[in-house]
Amino acid sequence: MAASSSTAAPPSIPVVFSTKTMYQLPSQRFMVPASWRRFQLSQLINTALALPRVVPFDFLIRGVLLRGSLSEAANSEEETLEIEYIESVLPPSRLATLPHEEWVSSITCSVPGHFLTGSYDGTLRVFDRAQALLHTAPLHAAPVTSFAITPSLPATSDDDLLVVTASHDRTAQISRVSLDGAHSTTSTPLATLHLHDTPIADVASTRDGKYILTAGWDGLIGLWSTSIPEADEVPLDAVAGPERKKRRKVQDGGSVKTKAPSAVLRSHTARVSAVKSPSSGGDAVSCGFDSTIRTWDVERGLCAHTITVSEKPFLALALPTAETTALAASADRSVTLFDLRVGATTAAAVKFPHAATPAALVFAQSSGTQFASGAYDGVVRVWDVRSATREVANARVWEGQKVLALDWAGETLGVAGEGGVEIWRAGVGVEGGLQKETSSAGDESTVRPPPTQQHCLCGFCPTLFVHLLDFLFRGDVRRQACSLTLSNNLSSHP
Amino acid sequence: MAPLAANRKRKQNVEEASPSSDTETFPAGGLDLLSEDEDEQENGIVQESDVDAFPEIDAASDTEEEGEGESSGDDAKFSETEDEEEEDDEDASSDDDLHVFPKAKTVISDITGQPKKIYPEIEPDYDSDSSTEDAPTRVGNIPLHWYDDLPHVGYDIDGKKVLKPARGDELDKFLHTVDDPSAWTSAFDKNTQTDRPLTAEELDIIRRLETLENPDANYDPYQPTVEWFTGAGKEEVMPLSAAPEPKRRWIPSKWERQKVMKIVRAIRQGRILPSKPKTTSSQPQFYAVWNDEPPSSHVPLPAPKPHLPTHSESYNPPEEYLPTAEERKEWEATDKEDRERDYLPQKYSALRLVPAYDQFIQERFGRQLDLYLAPRIQRKKLNIDPDSLIPKLPSPNTLRPFPNYKSLGFAHLRGRVRCVSISPDGAWVVSADDEGVVCLWEVIVGREVKRWTLNQKVGAVEWCPRTDVSFFVVGTEENLHFYVPPNLTPTVLSATKTLLNPPNLPPAPETPSPVKWVNSPSASALEAPLLSLDLPPSSGLAKNIAWHRKGDYFATVSSGGGQGAVWIHQVSRRHSQAPFKKIKGSVQMVLFHPLKPHFFVATQRYVRLYNLAEQKLLKLLNPGTRWISSMDVHPSGDHLIVGGYDRKLCWFDLELSDKPYKILRHVVYHSRAIRSLHFHPSYPLFASSSDDGSIQVFHARVYSDLLTDPLIVPLKILRGHDVRDGLGVLQVRWVPKQPWLVSTGADSTVAVWCH
Repeated sequence: MAASSSTAAPPSIPVVFSTKTMYQLPSQRFMVPASWRRFQLSQLINTALALPRVVPFDFLIRGVLLRGSLSEAANSEEETLEIEYIESVLPPSRLATLPHEEWVSSITCSVPGHFLTGSYDGTLRVFDRAQALLHTAPLHAAPVTSFAITPSLPATSDDDLLVVTASHDRTAQISRVSLDGAHSTTSTPLATLHLHDTPIADVASTRDGKYILTAGWDGLIGLWSTSIPEADEVPLDAVAGPERKKRRKVQDGGSVKTKAPSAVLRSHTARVSAVKSPSSGGDAVSCGFDSTIRTWDVERGLCAHTITVSEKPFLALALPTAETTALAASADRSVTLFDLRVGATTAAAVKFPHAATPAALVFAQSSGTQFASGAYDGVVRVWDVRSATREVANARVWEGQKVLALDWAGETLGVAGEGGVEIWRAGVGVEGGLQKETSSAGDESTVRPPPTQQHCLCGFCPTLFVHLLDFLFRGDVRRQACSLTLSNNLSSHP
Repeated sequence: MAPLAANRKRKQNVEEASPSSDTETFPAGGLDLLSEDEDEQENGIVQESDVDAFPEIDAASDTEEEGEGESSGDDAKFSETEDEEEEDDEDASSDDDLHVFPKAKTVISDITGQPKKIYPEIEPDYDSDSSTEDAPTRVGNIPLHWYDDLPHVGYDIDGKKVLKPARGDELDKFLHTVDDPSAWTSAFDKNTQTDRPLTAEELDIIRRLETLENPDANYDPYQPTVEWFTGAGKEEVMPLSAAPEPKRRWIPSKWERQKVMKIVRAIRQGRILPSKPKTTSSQPQFYAVWNDEPPSSHVPLPAPKPHLPTHSESYNPPEEYLPTAEERKEWEATDKEDRERDYLPQKYSALRLVPAYDQFIQERFGRQLDLYLAPRIQRKKLNIDPDSLIPKLPSPNTLRPFPNYKSLGFAHLRGRVRCVSISPDGAWVVSADDEGVVCLWEVIVGREVKRWTLNQKVGAVEWCPRTDVSFFVVGTEENLHFYVPPNLTPTVLSATKTLLNPPNLPPAPETPSPVKWVNSPSASALEAPLLSLDLPPSSGLAKNIAWHRKGDYFATVSSGGGQGAVWIHQVSRRHSQAPFKKIKGSVQMVLFHPLKPHFFVATQRYVRLYNLAEQKLLKLLNPGTRWISSMDVHPSGDHLIVGGYDRKLCWFDLELSDKPYKILRHVVYHSRAIRSLHFHPSYPLFASSSDDGSIQVFHARVYSDLLTDPLIVPLKILRGHDVRDGLGVLQVRWVPKQPWLVSTGADSTVAVWCH
């Protein structure tokens, strides 16, 4: 390798690195061989920062993820390339399987220490992190399509959750799930929500915990308060047939109250497939089969904004944290990023093409740029918003079985679908890495000072730092020898 | 040897003759003077014999020599007579080079005593006047060609003929050229009538003329110039005129300037091109000679004219044309092609006795064959790009949306999935297979929510198009079952129940129908059908169910055939009737017109359109297929597509004609039998499925004005179903409100195709 470099002497490109992560490099121009790829650049950053453990990086050149060598991305050898580096996403790895006999339509990983799944057999299941089934709550007679956990619980205990489940039986149900322990996990239905004449596609709760939103196949969005009524707001005879009334009486002992919506949001002309509430504010965003994405002013019950595109029946929706954008998956095999502030946004939309129908979308909690999409071909793809041409990583969860729901909390990616539930590990950067440490440190500035006064980090190589400086600031004279030395220190990353 | 000897002899003769001529020169001249008659006689003799002619020649030649001798003699005489002058000449000869003209000598005249100038005598020498030259023959200065045909060349001073010297024949000439080395440098002299060797000067002149030089040997083309008026010492020192130099000599010329400016202006304005631009036309033009086809000036051959009849073909030919018995036998013995004539002359005494021409048919046929096999019509070959004849169709990309990929598949356990139906709201799919399993599942997720097992082969399944009630009809062997999907709202469910299982039954019709409407005893359970119709026995599988758009009537076709094949059922009155007393052919499919009270019935070959209100046949459509497999009517009701097992799809414009407006054949279409056709209820799309395992999606735009033809554009061929036992995709149905397609295959799968 050294011989080849000495004989060929590849052309070099001036580059300037920048980042929004905490791994800051001093702003300086580097001469980097044009044949370098992501791996070499990532090694360079790691070596320059002398990170205690290897953090793989991805590189964005003009907003596009670097895939090949630098020479392919660079316009000319004279122009200085501005490279932004981000922590790269490792391909998800399988952690665990939660066995289900039925298709699973929804999953959440956001409850600490637990997984909750909603299944097509109409039950809500609670698992703990050790994949032990804690509780099975047969809440519905028809398949559960979605459930949501209201953030603020008017209940007393911290371990109690208020879960709203939506079902094909045209109702949603508010239940209290108490996560006291392995054996004392219980679920109590509190109220049934009666509005829709058709199955309910999605349910969400606003972040402030005041409202619950249900999206039905009939194009209505029901807006409900989280309070449990004292008495039935809807007469039971009008709600259910005699047999269902009988069953519920037998099961619940008549304690389940019926609840009417506080408002009905009507604008969609076809099935509302998903409704989500952004993390800030009390608004809601919904999408439907009528190829529209609507932003709702929940307090007034009005449609604040509508994005209409042509012939894109939307199937799923995801909202990044504190952003004015929305990501929607449609049946024409594309996931599109919309700017919610713009009207007819064909120009502002970024399309992420898929090989199969994407049915589930979730944003990574930690970053506003990475999201995962699950498709009907059983593949979960991890994307970066800045790189629309190809996914960052993908994982074939099932072979030919549909992925119906995703949830991504931290590094835990829950995949629910035709084959049950699988827990995968996916995330930004290194597992249990610096990011977590600094965030736990809190007040400490996230920007780490540039490594200007470094001592040798590897311990066994006193001359390494000399090599490193030489390598960084002088160029490529002893680069190969240095990198050989370094490679002992660095674990290789695919 | 003989010719050589002859040559020698001849030579000897010449040699002998020439000395004798020398000796006899003067006497000959003397003899000539004797008598003209003799001379004539002698001439005649000379003409007769060459031998005698030789002395004459030699005499002539000798006369020249003699002349020379005489001239020398003259010179001698002259020199004798003018000795004194010769001395003067000798004196003067020294001055000859200096003086061009002869010097006059002044002498004292003897007579007058006066001095007189005496010029020297002019020497009649070579360079003197040629007129003074004495002729070799004294015939005078006459054109010699006068005597070309005569043996003499003139007359001498005595009036005697001067005979031409004898010329040898060609052989002598040749021998002369061989013997005499100077023969090639000698030329014939007309004056002397002999060959005279050319002198060296003459040869030199000839050589110079041949090399295009000046014939004068002394001519020097490079003489030094003689400067008479110029050169050193001859300059004009003094001016010719004392006038001062005019001003125009040293100021620029105004007129020249004007002339130049005129040209400059013309150049500026472009009227004159200073240098002609080098165009391609100025360069030599090359072109491929053989590229262009030669002008087809080939005139086709004219058709051969039939032979005119000859005498032998007459009905009454003369006797000599009639063949003899041997000729007749020989004619009959030879083959037909080898015969010289294809008939035998026959003689009839009268025209009325002539029988019919027995070779008429053969002859006409032969001529027709000749004309046919060598056609003389010049066919004009049109050079038309075949691609330009293809009609311009819009690109499929501009006609989106249409289904182009398989979004999800739904698998039945086993058995061919024969039929599928989609709920009017576009959310649920009912599919049924040959094993009797009916599945209800979501369109977009593909999750089965309900399954009924009938243990009977299911031929058709169809949702009721009404929205206030929700149920679907499953057609099996001699039965029709009404099922209600789960998860209905109470109002819809109760409406459905009251429709299908009314508390008080409507009055029974007067004529009892063989079809029995039976409600299941357990009305509440979803597992059992809410209502069942028992078709008359041996009516076979109900293979087709067609709902009227209002959802009250539906028609079924049973495979049993005969009179009980087609039934129209009315749900509200719980009544069934057979609309046709007698049906020609086996009914394949029936359809209700979407807008009018019309009813389509497709038999094996024809599609009949009936008016149900007036109970009469409106149209008989003939698609030309051998076996109709399926048909569908456009939502506007004016267009009908009919597909056949013979891989043909016909598009009928019902307003236009009973004949198909457009036919799609298997060359560009399905390669196997067409199984199913369906128009999308709202999008301008239709799809067809086939046993080749593919689905073809078409854009079919229909215009409301009657002038514009429907636009049919093939959009997409969807492949994904396997062919099992020769059966491919058995039914296709569109999802209402979405451009999605649901297809069922013999590989026991149902696929949803999304755009």
